[in-house]
Amino acid sequence: MLELKNLHAAVGGKEILKGVNLTINDGEVHAIMGPNGAGKSTLSYAICGKDGYEVTSGSVLYNGKNLLDMDPNERAGEGLFLGFQYPVEIPGISNMNFLRTALNSQRRYQDKPEVTAVDFLKLIRSKAKELDMDPEMLKRAVNVGFSGGEKKRNEMVQMAVLNPSMAILDETDSGLDIDALKIVADGINRLRAADKAILLITHYQRLLDYVVPDFVHVLADGRIVKSGTKDLALQLEAKGYAGLGISENAA
Amino acid sequence: MTLKRHLDTPEAAINFDKVKTTFTGAGETSLTNMRANAMGKFMATGLPGPKVEEWKYTNLTFLVQFLANENFEFVKSDDYSAEVKALFDKAYIEGITGPVVVFVNGHFHSTLSSCPDEDGVKFSLFSENPEALRQSLADSQESTALNNLNRAMTTDGYHLEISAGGNLSQPIQIIHMATSGTDGQSLRTRGKISLGNGARAKVIESFIGPDEQRYWTHMISDVDLAKAAELSYFQFQLQGKQAIHMTELHSTVAEKAKFNGMNLQLGAEVSRSEIMNSFTGEYAEIELRGAYLGRVKQSHDIFTRISHDKPHCQSNQLFRGVLDEGGTSAFQGKVIVARDAQKTNADQSNKNLLLSRKAEANAKPELLIYADDVKCTHGATVGEIDSEQLFYLKSRGMDETTAKGLLVEAFVAEVFANLLVGTDEEKLQQRFTEKTSGWLSGEVTS
Repeated sequence: MLELKNLHAAVGGKEILKGVNLTINDGEVHAIMGPNGAGKSTLSYAICGKDGYEVTSGSVLYNGKNLLDMDPNERAGEGLFLGFQYPVEIPGISNMNFLRTALNSQRRYQDKPEVTAVDFLKLIRSKAKELDMDPEMLKRAVNVGFSGGEKKRNEMVQMAVLNPSMAILDETDSGLDIDALKIVADGINRLRAADKAILLITHYQRLLDYVVPDFVHVLADGRIVKSGTKDLALQLEAKGYAGLGISENAA
Repeated sequence: MTLKRHLDTPEAAINFDKVKTTFTGAGETSLTNMRANAMGKFMATGLPGPKVEEWKYTNLTFLVQFLANENFEFVKSDDYSAEVKALFDKAYIEGITGPVVVFVNGHFHSTLSSCPDEDGVKFSLFSENPEALRQSLADSQESTALNNLNRAMTTDGYHLEISAGGNLSQPIQIIHMATSGTDGQSLRTRGKISLGNGARAKVIESFIGPDEQRYWTHMISDVDLAKAAELSYFQFQLQGKQAIHMTELHSTVAEKAKFNGMNLQLGAEVSRSEIMNSFTGEYAEIELRGAYLGRVKQSHDIFTRISHDKPHCQSNQLFRGVLDEGGTSAFQGKVIVARDAQKTNADQSNKNLLLSRKAEANAKPELLIYADDVKCTHGATVGEIDSEQLFYLKSRGMDETTAKGLLVEAFVAEVFANLLVGTDEEKLQQRFTEKTSGWLSGEVTS
């Protein structure tokens, strides 16, 4: 589904990713862990096409298509979803209006008919209910005045409504208490399917207790330095990055 | 050589003499004298020139030519033509059921209008009742050059009076339209709204016209609110692309009265909105809100003044501007707090969003505070679309145009925040949002 080959990316002229190789197949859940400054967020932004995250060499293929030729909205239309570490507040736009516009934009991109207001309302209400979100929050401005947990839950509702084939979740677990973490994990697990894939980017192992990955990779100083199964995450938790010979401040 | 402070328009007096016999109340000495007197004053001062501080952002030099070549050919206004009907449909806000008054090319249009008719409400048309016009001119204190020009040459207008305790049960929509054939014409009207003690009303005044004509809409309104009266007054400007749009509103707000003003500017090539208010009693409130959207060849100039002449009054101003390539705007907001107007509370906020590096927004807050126990704030910003917000929307699948459009709508929607006290206001916001998306795709009057 997603194939990164020798991916190099720079931010403000400084090289952050120094040759990342990663292949994610349909149905797989991968986790990328790594110390601060390893390039975890840069990796997610480079895949999703954020301005300022310049891919200097290497390739990103998504279902065989070159993602690097596409605008961020086209990547989303192709089925890619980015869960933000810090979801952005947008005053003046209701959650409902935001998501409906997003969904219909994707459907137009996919040459599918737009969803009617009635069908959309049904869809979003059922997804909000599954993820235990107060329906009143759908009427509120996007993420404005939401607590950290509410923002992450909102990311999960968005993901459920947009139903991507590949989700990249950037530190979706950070700053969550245990209840919120369970809800987020539940949202991720609901997306798991044979024709979908998930890339979890996380600093801590605890999310992986609830969303069990098929593969775990360690990113340090812009490269994947170690790969393994879920046991690798447990080792990291027990021994720390230094214990595995990985420098915390590689940069 | 020094730059002139004022612009002379010698042809304006000649034109006035030619057409003065056609004006409303031309046979009546008192009104005729008032008009001649006002014209004399206008000729003595001339138009304000570019050196006049209040007109720093709207250069009126082009009006010298306009006045010299002014076209007075009467365009028949009472036809219910396809054009008139289409313009009416674009300006009329569905779902607000109430009286409708239409002026076409500066003249009352009876077929399309249904004037207010209920107890405690008196509605006079100046064309049918020249005495009402005379009275309104006599009561109007302002005497700026443009106000004098309007006094001299106004063709029609209205006086809405609500007696003490009265209530205009439904909002009134007043639509001013220009039609084809008005190129080079001035459409001058006046309005007066007087609310007695405790009276209430909502007035929506819309302006619309075709893109192909260069006409000049010029309207002066006087608002007088007695004790505890409450008026909501909305101006919706959807003029054609070449139009010159100038309105001036003067309000006096008595004890415990409340004036809610909303000013939305989307069309016209040049717009100038003056909103001048003074408190005449204590514990009164003035709330002014507005938004203006401008792009190439468009300039909007909002000029407000709030005179806190009495203690314990509150004023709040909130204006938002969006400027795309080639658009310019100015917000000049003056707050004057008199020496004994203690416990005044005055807030002012003006934020502008530039969608292009080739757009210009000017903000000029001016606070003149002579009292010492007051709370006055002001804030003005000029910024661009937030790149984090834009990426967030794009990452969810919206293309650049859709994402920017949504952010612009959100930015201007703030002028409606906490104002949605009824379904009428919701209808207005809906209408404004529709017009905003229309503006974003290049159309105002559609």
